Amino acid sequence: MKTLIRLEITRTLRNRKFMFLSVLYPAFLFLAIGLSYKKSDTVGGSGLSAVGYLMVAMAAFGAMTSVLMGNAERIARERHKGWVRQLRLTALPGRGYVAAKVAAAATVSLPSIVVVLVLGAAVESVRMAAWQWVSIAASIWAGSMVFAALGVAIGYMSSAEVARPLSMLFYFGLAILGGLWVPIYSFPHWLQTLADYLPARPYADLGQTIELGQAPHTRDVAVLVVYLALFAGAAAWLYRKDTRKA
Amino acid sequence: MTAPAARTRTHQEAGHDPAAGPPVVSFTSVDKSFGTVRAVAGLSLALHAGETVALLGPNGAGKSTALDLLLGLKNPDRGTVTVFGTSPARAIAAGRVGAMLQSGGLMEEVTVRELVSLACDLHPRAHPVDQVLAAADLTAIGDRKVDKLSGGQEQRVRFAMATAGANDLIVLDEPTTGMDVGARQAFWSTMRAQVDQGRTVLFATHYLEEADAVADRVLVLHRGRLIADGTAAEIKARAGARRITFDLDEAEGPVDEAALRALPHVVGLDVTGPTVRIRSDDADATVHALYGLGLYPHHLEVAGLGLEQAFLAITDAATAEEAEK
Repeated sequence: MKTLIRLEITRTLRNRKFMFLSVLYPAFLFLAIGLSYKKSDTVGGSGLSAVGYLMVAMAAFGAMTSVLMGNAERIARERHKGWVRQLRLTALPGRGYVAAKVAAAATVSLPSIVVVLVLGAAVESVRMAAWQWVSIAASIWAGSMVFAALGVAIGYMSSAEVARPLSMLFYFGLAILGGLWVPIYSFPHWLQTLADYLPARPYADLGQTIELGQAPHTRDVAVLVVYLALFAGAAAWLYRKDTRKA
Repeated sequence: MTAPAARTRTHQEAGHDPAAGPPVVSFTSVDKSFGTVRAVAGLSLALHAGETVALLGPNGAGKSTALDLLLGLKNPDRGTVTVFGTSPARAIAAGRVGAMLQSGGLMEEVTVRELVSLACDLHPRAHPVDQVLAAADLTAIGDRKVDKLSGGQEQRVRFAMATAGANDLIVLDEPTTGMDVGARQAFWSTMRAQVDQGRTVLFATHYLEEADAVADRVLVLHRGRLIADGTAAEIKARAGARRITFDLDEAEGPVDEAALRALPHVVGLDVTGPTVRIRSDDADATVHALYGLGLYPHHLEVAGLGLEQAFLAITDAATAEEAEK
């Protein structure tokens, strides 16, 4: 099992294109959009600077990219190629494969979070207390588990051809509705209310609340926990279903 | 349902001692359908420790489904499958079964050595990685990426994964597919080493010669049913006839079909232009009599029936038996 996790991490790190996409893409977006903001811009009367909002949103977006896109497509492809079948002929417990996939995704999502935060401090001059930086990174990293579970579920739900478009759909849909690209405060009121109950908005809000020096909202944490249970449950159910027909 | 298999020789008659222990693998009245297709129908069989068994059948005979059922990759609609007296999944988790499937994929973007190390790490009774690599003749290409291997090399990696630990049963689904003759021979000599260590080996194949050379027991599947169970020699004898092919000189006039049909031991005749194909259950006698007719056959060939025809011969017999009842 340890060897499997190590191998999954090694091969993810070896996949340069994927690393490049998931680490540099959010960083690039952050710089491109962030540099167009003025220092004094604020969002939604929350007291949060526009750049500060964007920094956390892009760190969250980057983490989502690596865990969702990475897992969904790879799992679907490996099912298609019969690797999952081959693994079932070993003594590895069924959940071991999924655990290794999530661990590998988490390895890539951490650098994508850190790069955005470092750029925020170095290029965009975001200033915060040390504990805020650390807690923001930790909360975004931990929250990415929700999307990792979604990625696993999509990987088991779809064929190799469908996995990519389907995960794109979820990924862009959730990112946009969660206000990761365009600040949530420019949405109509009803859409803001809806967004509060979709996973990406509470996810980004964890870090943005910490930026304001507060503890994360209970509701955000609760919504994320419910989604984690939902996605993980769906992933487990789909895995068993797949096992029966494999 | 009539079961012609029940009329073939039982396992004990094939020279095995039923008191040697519980069966390694046991199928009891197993059915498995996909939609309207009955892939496996009323399959009952028992494999015993130390046997090398070939599962023979044309494509679509139900071989792969039978192996999937044995390995717990599919569940039977009816009937039970046990491996070492327990469920297939438990037997695998205990590290008693190694399997090599055609449909089994390999992890990409890793080296051969890394992948084999993984298989060893996951096996509860693993052999040292270097030993597994050497046994599968992979030592020289240990650092090569799995994605860059030839078909035969991939098969050797699958073989290494199937033999990463001290399995008591090794299951191989058409293991030599994609190998050239040399690789095929090398593969089976490796396999014999496994057999010599007392392992039970079950392999699916559609090469009759392979079953003949390697297996001490042959199971023949046809349309999901077990239609024969015996030694390779017995199966071939049941398939019976040999095929005699030759050309006759057209200058000597049209082929006299009646005379050919009247030759001794002829069970089938097919004439296409100058080419004559005879199925005979005693080729020596038929050929001898052929010369006796004063004919001069060109390009004379005598060969065993191809597997496809052997199956036709066996299934015809099986169908006839069914009709009698």
